[in-house]
Amino acid sequence: MEKNYYVCTGCGLLCDDIEVESEKDIINKVYTACRVGVAHMKEGKEEATFLVDNKPVDEAKAINEAASILKNAKNPLIFGLGTSTNEAQKLAIELAKKINATLDDTSSYCLGSVVEAVVNNKVKTCTLDDVRNKGDVVIFWGSDPADSHPRHLSKHSYFPRGKEKQRGWEEDRTAIAIDIRKSHTAKICGNYFFQIPQGGDAEFIDALIAGLSGKLPKTSYNYPPKKILELTNILKGAKFGIVFVGLGLVYSLENLEPLLRLMKALNEKANFHLVPMVGHYNMRGFNENLFAETGYVNSVKFENGIVKHGPEFSTVESIKAKTVDAALIIGSDPLSSLPRSIAKNLLGIPVILLDPCKTLTSKNAKVYINTAISGVESGGSATRMDGILVNFKPIVETKHPSDETVLMKIMEAL
Amino acid sequence: MDFGSFLATPEIKIKIVTYRDIFQDKAMIENRFGEEYRNLSAVIKLDPADLKQLAVKKGDTVILKNSFGRVVVKAEESGYETPHRGIAYMPNSPWSNMLVSDETGGKGVPKFKDISVTATSAKGEKVTETEFF
Repeated sequence: MEKNYYVCTGCGLLCDDIEVESEKDIINKVYTACRVGVAHMKEGKEEATFLVDNKPVDEAKAINEAASILKNAKNPLIFGLGTSTNEAQKLAIELAKKINATLDDTSSYCLGSVVEAVVNNKVKTCTLDDVRNKGDVVIFWGSDPADSHPRHLSKHSYFPRGKEKQRGWEEDRTAIAIDIRKSHTAKICGNYFFQIPQGGDAEFIDALIAGLSGKLPKTSYNYPPKKILELTNILKGAKFGIVFVGLGLVYSLENLEPLLRLMKALNEKANFHLVPMVGHYNMRGFNENLFAETGYVNSVKFENGIVKHGPEFSTVESIKAKTVDAALIIGSDPLSSLPRSIAKNLLGIPVILLDPCKTLTSKNAKVYINTAISGVESGGSATRMDGILVNFKPIVETKHPSDETVLMKIMEAL
Repeated sequence: MDFGSFLATPEIKIKIVTYRDIFQDKAMIENRFGEEYRNLSAVIKLDPADLKQLAVKKGDTVILKNSFGRVVVKAEESGYETPHRGIAYMPNSPWSNMLVSDETGGKGVPKFKDISVTATSAKGEKVTETEFF
């Protein structure tokens, strides 16, 4: 009997081997998914909701109010989209061009710089399937997939018996964690956990580069040179190495130069790839879609056919400097996820929110549209954390409109 | 040892590192305003020596304060074998974000994982609400 598999849109792994049992458009059981994935796919919802000033309205009223806010704004911000399909993201880019908006996603304050390096071919990358089939030395640097991407280690990076790695983690693979705390992933890495002090990543990179070229590795925090040399010996022997870069590393570096230098040094001695640990299921899709359109992965401002780019057009800076006078937010909760010292400025401008969940942002939005959970209640395509395109269909039917539908209607109303 | 630790209600300087937690993530998806999410988010994991210096027991509430905000969260022991006095851990959440600096150096990236606060016993004060009033 042919089985019906679904895709989980709970994180950037986009696991495509999920089975569910559903009845009357309610998902009762989810098989194969992780703890987060099961919660995501079973996320129950109430009736379709359109709110203006926290009062229920019909769909037309909500769409018209949203269109009117965007029409009256001089510099609206369109932000979010990490949990939207490629199709919705492309529409949002069109909308941003049409209304001369500032457009950004969460990547500007997380892994955008790393994705930018990957899409600009500044560093060698690979797919998760390559990792499963060939990976022998796997480094988790400032990343903790055991918590953030729960099936990463079991499905791709450590435990599986890949085509060329039949002896899996027991003999064929070495997993290394470099972190400032003993994360759950670091525990799995056992003796290959290298604990460094907060902000010590750049120096550790320099020490590794020194070790790779046979010099004595030194750090101001006196990391034992012998341990660093043991590590560089493992790295030198990698036939197919991967560095999974997480926020811990990115936030610790002033810029990516030290990391790119390390990747170059590693590839002079061995064969290493870099994969950003993208969290939201389609953040990479947004980066690639915007890159295809503008040559930038995030933080842009459209102005009568011209594209401006820079950190001043990032979500954080534009909200902080109050340069935007309205916000259309899709699938993000900045009042919870941004520093409150900055996010509070959103309370001073009209916010339109498209989101499947009630959040702090929905409670404070001028217009709130409770949209379908993409991947569960609506279908489309997305780009996995390693750049692979994944198509998915909805699992259940819903009355909730998809992001794509709402964006289309707002564009029509404009 | 800083001067604050000799005050009647000891006050110590803490650097907070934030992190992701699978149990907290799952609770957030189920209900961002629920008790489980609050219990797994509004916590700070301290070195046992820091707990002792603050004169608080595991499960007591503490006040975390800096020029950007003030929150009351539950204090817990980190469970890490390596001592880490002066460094504490919080799952990334609206509670930790209430303490994050607005200083970004114009780069658009706040210091989500590097927060400096002073900590003191909350003497039974309840965990902070995240709502805007």
